[in-house]
Amino acid sequence: MTAQALASLSEEVLLEIRGLEKSFGGVKAVSDVSMDLRAGIVTTLVGPNGAGKTTLFNLITGHLTHSGGSVRWLGRDIGGMKPYRIARLGIARTFQDLRLFKDMTVEENILTVMEPGALPFSFTGPSAREKRERVARVMERTGLADKARTRAVDLAYAERKFLSLARIMAAKARLWLLDEPASGLDPNSYATFLRLLREEVAAGVTVCIIEHNLDIVVGSSDRIAFLDRGRLLADGDPKTVLEDPELTKIYFGDRV
Amino acid sequence: MEAYLLNLGVLVSIYAILAVTLNFIMGYAGIFSLAHAVFFGVGAYVGAQVGMHFSASLIVTIPAAMAVSAVLSLMLALPALRVRGEYFVAASLGLQMLAVTVFSEWKGMTGGIGGLIGIPAVRMFGEDIYRPAAFFPLAAGAAILVLIVTRLLVRSSLGRSLTAIRDSESAAESFGKNVALIKTISVVVSAALAAVAGVLYANYLSFINVESFTLDTSVLVMAMVIIGGTGTALGPIVGAALLLLLPGMLSYLWFLPQTQIGAIQQIIYGLGMAVLMIFRPGGLVGRSGARRRTRKAGGGK
Repeated sequence: MTAQALASLSEEVLLEIRGLEKSFGGVKAVSDVSMDLRAGIVTTLVGPNGAGKTTLFNLITGHLTHSGGSVRWLGRDIGGMKPYRIARLGIARTFQDLRLFKDMTVEENILTVMEPGALPFSFTGPSAREKRERVARVMERTGLADKARTRAVDLAYAERKFLSLARIMAAKARLWLLDEPASGLDPNSYATFLRLLREEVAAGVTVCIIEHNLDIVVGSSDRIAFLDRGRLLADGDPKTVLEDPELTKIYFGDRV
Repeated sequence: MEAYLLNLGVLVSIYAILAVTLNFIMGYAGIFSLAHAVFFGVGAYVGAQVGMHFSASLIVTIPAAMAVSAVLSLMLALPALRVRGEYFVAASLGLQMLAVTVFSEWKGMTGGIGGLIGIPAVRMFGEDIYRPAAFFPLAAGAAILVLIVTRLLVRSSLGRSLTAIRDSESAAESFGKNVALIKTISVVVSAALAAVAGVLYANYLSFINVESFTLDTSVLVMAMVIIGGTGTALGPIVGAALLLLLPGMLSYLWFLPQTQIGAIQQIIYGLGMAVLMIFRPGGLVGRSGARRRTRKAGGGK
């Protein structure tokens, strides 16, 4: 894993974060964070609650505007851009609270992310048949095929998490920001999730995950970034970061 | 008797157009507008003026009314993009008030309080169409056409985008949806189609004044949508028919004191609304599972 991670350090930098700051009132939620997300690397953000992990995602996707520093996508400054514009560049995300389109069916939830345009028809996007096939394939892979016509609100918990994943799979983004995608999953569902993630990474997707379960982190990431109180305390390969006694103390300190 | 029923049929068709177009933004975009009568009025006044001064042909009056209404609807789209929920309701109420003032003061355009009289009837196949028997097929046809257009839109990618935005605006944005543009398009489409109802109304009655385009009308149309079933295909039409037929039906009940029919009607409306919201909050045509669904959605994370 380490060798692989080192080898891929030569990979193209997709997202470059420099000196990123965000304060809410007087509280610094993100403070002087700098990091690169390189193509093909799975990065996991860990850190105690309130460390600023989700805030960092919101700053990248434009749901929040930073108060200092810069975010660059393939060299282009995307700070202050509207979320839909950032999304169209190839950055997609999931939400901790999923935010499914609850009154729409599973099929429609997946279909609608392939149709960002505002007009009721499109000449440039994929054809209706292509979209249908893509929806079917994504539902098949996420195990939702027999729930195609079920509304999102009527799904069980694990199915909702897979629908959230199915949406991002259908969106054809280069960079995925996943906010606790595996939390609350039973072992079987978890194995499926991991398999899907690996397949997508192998197919060229770059992933950044927020995760609490350290077993998952070690097993599925090339690199760990440790955040605490808005600061990036460590950034490196999983073993080194997780074996650092200082960080372990911070991470488990609020639980023991 | 037959003329009476056909006359009701015309009114139901015209109000059905209003209810269907309001449902398009209420049910799918989550935009609760109390200003729908404004676009009904704009359509009526523009249709009447164009009819009196240029041509009474629907091929001329309808596009003109739709265009003016579409442009003016941007005044509604602007607050719709900035504020949500009850704040938008208040903003649309403001627009409705403003419009009523303009309708009753701008004498050159609207004839002021007195209104416009002598609006020419529609001419089709070399004949003036104003009798209920002739007008009803026209109005019903227009209502069906508007229903078909809105259904096609709801089932298109635009409809899915609207529902997605209603369910989670932030998620829709993060999948590349331009929320402002999509909402604006939906408001413009709704207002333009509502103007069709206005043109028909002006042509049919040959007289219009501000009384028909006040807040009362906006509230009535919203009640039609809610009672019939917000976000359903046929609900708004059922609601329009029910609310317009009810007064007539009551007068056939011989045991009711006929002089008090107005008051009785209000009591029945009030009771009906309350009972409906308790037992079928999704409306008459709405899913009966609406209550369970709301509870579940509220309880889930």
